[in-house]
Amino acid sequence: MARPLRRLNALTGAAPLILLWAVPLLLSLAALLPSLGDGKALARLLAHPQLGSALALSLFTGLAATALALAATLLILAGTGATRVMRIMAAAGVALPHLAFAIGFGFLIMPSGLLARVFVGGETPPGWITVQDPWGLALIVALAIKEVPFLLTAAFGILSRKEAAGLLAQQARAARSLGHGEGSAFLRVLMPQLLAELRWPLLIVFVYGATVVDMALVLGPTQPPTVAVVIWHALNDADPQENQMGLQATLLLTLLLGLAIALLSAGLGALRKPYRTFLTAGPSALAAPRRSARLMSILIGTITLAALLLLLVLSLSQRWPYPALSPVFGAAAWETLAAAPAPLVLSLVLALTTAATATALGLLWFETQNPAHDRWVTGLALLSLALPQLAIAGGQYRVFLGLGLTGSLAGLFLAHLAPVAAYVLIVLQGPYRAFDARYAMVARGLSASPARTFLRVKLPLLKAPVLTAFAIGFAVSIVQFVPAQLIAGGRYSTLPIEAVTLSSGGSRALTAAYALALAVPPLLVFMGTSLLGRPRWR
Amino acid sequence: MTFSLTRRSIIQLIGTLPFIGAAQAGAGWAAIETEAKGQTVYFNAWAGSPQVNAFIAWAGGELNARHGITLEHVKLADTAEAVRRVRDEVKAGAKGSADLIWINGENFRVMKQERLLFGPFAEDLPNFALVDVEGKPTTRIDFAEATEGLEAPWGMAQLTFFGDGTALKAPPLSMAELLDLARNMPGRIAYPAPPDFHGTTFVKQALVETMEDRALLPTSIDKAGFTTAAQPLFAFLDALHPHLWREGKQFPQSQAQLKQMLADGELVMALTFNPNEPANLVASGELPKTTIAWQHRSGTIGNTHFVAIPVNAQAAAAAQVTANFLLSPEAQARKADLAVWGDPTVLDMAKLKPEDKALFTGGDAPGAVRFPARTIPEPHGSWVPLIEAAWLDRYGA
Repeated sequence: MARPLRRLNALTGAAPLILLWAVPLLLSLAALLPSLGDGKALARLLAHPQLGSALALSLFTGLAATALALAATLLILAGTGATRVMRIMAAAGVALPHLAFAIGFGFLIMPSGLLARVFVGGETPPGWITVQDPWGLALIVALAIKEVPFLLTAAFGILSRKEAAGLLAQQARAARSLGHGEGSAFLRVLMPQLLAELRWPLLIVFVYGATVVDMALVLGPTQPPTVAVVIWHALNDADPQENQMGLQATLLLTLLLGLAIALLSAGLGALRKPYRTFLTAGPSALAAPRRSARLMSILIGTITLAALLLLLVLSLSQRWPYPALSPVFGAAAWETLAAAPAPLVLSLVLALTTAATATALGLLWFETQNPAHDRWVTGLALLSLALPQLAIAGGQYRVFLGLGLTGSLAGLFLAHLAPVAAYVLIVLQGPYRAFDARYAMVARGLSASPARTFLRVKLPLLKAPVLTAFAIGFAVSIVQFVPAQLIAGGRYSTLPIEAVTLSSGGSRALTAAYALALAVPPLLVFMGTSLLGRPRWR
Repeated sequence: MTFSLTRRSIIQLIGTLPFIGAAQAGAGWAAIETEAKGQTVYFNAWAGSPQVNAFIAWAGGELNARHGITLEHVKLADTAEAVRRVRDEVKAGAKGSADLIWINGENFRVMKQERLLFGPFAEDLPNFALVDVEGKPTTRIDFAEATEGLEAPWGMAQLTFFGDGTALKAPPLSMAELLDLARNMPGRIAYPAPPDFHGTTFVKQALVETMEDRALLPTSIDKAGFTTAAQPLFAFLDALHPHLWREGKQFPQSQAQLKQMLADGELVMALTFNPNEPANLVASGELPKTTIAWQHRSGTIGNTHFVAIPVNAQAAAAAQVTANFLLSPEAQARKADLAVWGDPTVLDMAKLKPEDKALFTGGDAPGAVRFPARTIPEPHGSWVPLIEAAWLDRYGA
């Protein structure tokens, strides 16, 4: 192919992603810069009596939840493989929105919740400190359970990459022939490689856990709350000084998270030596922890399913006083939801279009760009996910307001596309670049055009990761609240906006109904794509 | 900002000149109604209650039929959202997205101070003449801030407690009795953590009941004065907290959570700012028929909620017509109906025509307030940040 043509191709392939995603994102980040030097707001923040304890609580909950989720994930991986059932369960777990899980889980464990009713009873609820405990343990456990499916999905993705999978299987076989038990082979051969590849998903889990607002409001303590809740209250205040303080707190939290991650990776680096001693200690007959892995998956699966079922029952209950085992049923919440279908339709349209656009933009980029340039887009994507969403949304709002994009469908589309494209790019990059280029070369050698090669050879072979990326994009889009609410400017309402505003009155039935309405579409899309994504030749 | 004389503002100017008389003011109103026809009002209003949302939807239907106005309910979780949006739009010179905001208290004070409000318009609305401005002084003084016609009264609110009558034979009618009850039922009483609005109100109520010199409340106060005046308040809270839910070391996040904990049976009582919310919750089946509601013997803190028009509203004429309709005896009576919303009226029954008065059916319902008491006005705005900061310092971490 002629050189200028290739350059043109590279340009036209990159332009849509840069224009629709990277430029708005960079502008949004730049819009935050003027807040950096606000000394008055910083002084106000530093005088906040809850600042120190709230920050400590956030770091602790984020770290503890990540560590627990990682431990459970590794145990499951060591004991069971990527079976079909495990894959579908993990996908369903990823699709379930955090808030939906938190509400169901909360009703399971709270003093007036289902477990207390079944196992304790009595006239009044027991004095359990199971939710809103001062250490944030309920929040930690809920976050950990919710993140295991995400880490499993990421690990399955790594393991199933064609040559990686073959290589790992060979290495495992070699290790076993050297006398390692299955457990030992996992610990000493598979796990180190897996951990290296899981570092980005782990980072996302940590940042999410340390900055989550909705789950912390349902399950977290109040005196002090996590710093994310302090920020959320400050940013929602009518007083601009409070808003500025919230922004400073966001920046401080971001800085501390960065510091924690740097310290953590330095600490892990120091552990490398003793770890190597352990790695080369020679074979041990350690067996695979099949039973505990099965127990762990059953435990997580059961709790998640119980939370989902409780959510359904709660959405259908008028009230449910302690110690009754069944509620006074009523369908008022679902009637309210059915009476206003427009937000649901808009959310579905936005989720489908942004997920499809993000997947197309990603494919176009990967197909036309030098792989060495990928780190620019994946780096920007990771940065946008690692920074607290509240801050980015604020910057985006300022930019869109200036451009007259607030209150418009175009603005809403771009606001949803920002996080969707970030996730899609990260998910798609690995499998796409791992594609064996020899297939395409053979097709080109048989004089197929580049377009034909892409459509008839590459895309069918990459069907599973492309569909997964689409499904993740869909799930990310449908739960967007903060950016959606800011950009919608009161002109449009999406399902999460409707859910949050209607729940502000505290009707648990209504909250549960909306949480389910938010959970079902991504669950269906994940199920659908995991069925469609099955390789045809197997 | 430059001030431009539009047709509307001239009409308003004429309407407010007292010597021109009622005929011209009437003509001014007719012009506003004409201009309003065909406009769309984006009504930014808290949407946490299906009953309130249904009432706003009804008002939309009536406004469309009578005045050709389309009313769009922009559903908010928190009114501060709309305040921030208007502020940002004005700063950026962007087109206004809100025409009418359901507002009071701090949100109003901030918008008034930052000149983000259209008007004065409220006292020129034809139906404002029916408002009980003498009997309900809070219809013109919003949290000690003079409304100056920048917001039109819509409904009344008063701190009210509620609980299950089978568990509470004699509800506590003062903070002192509440302390006794908490001692007898440890862990079954709570209030939301300030700066949650309801939590702050509970603390304000305790301040009013424990304070020695109440004459200080309507006046501005500094930190030193507050520290002295609030000594009995914090002595009371120190005594109360060990008997509260989680020994006063954790607090519910919000009134919504408090209400849910009462419905679940974890707490024996909750609080609200809408005296008729308990009756409403009984009607919707969220609370049992044995629910009772009460106010403290010596009165509880009360205020008024309003509607205001942002300075950058695109449909200010239709917004005024909407505010006027919301003040009409018909809309006020429907709003006060326990089966619809149960929000008390701002109108003066003595000023109504007999047929309008008949619209207010009143009546008793399970969960209605059993011991109504007088309204205590909100303390001066300078008290609130001091209360919240002192509370957070003592009990926040």
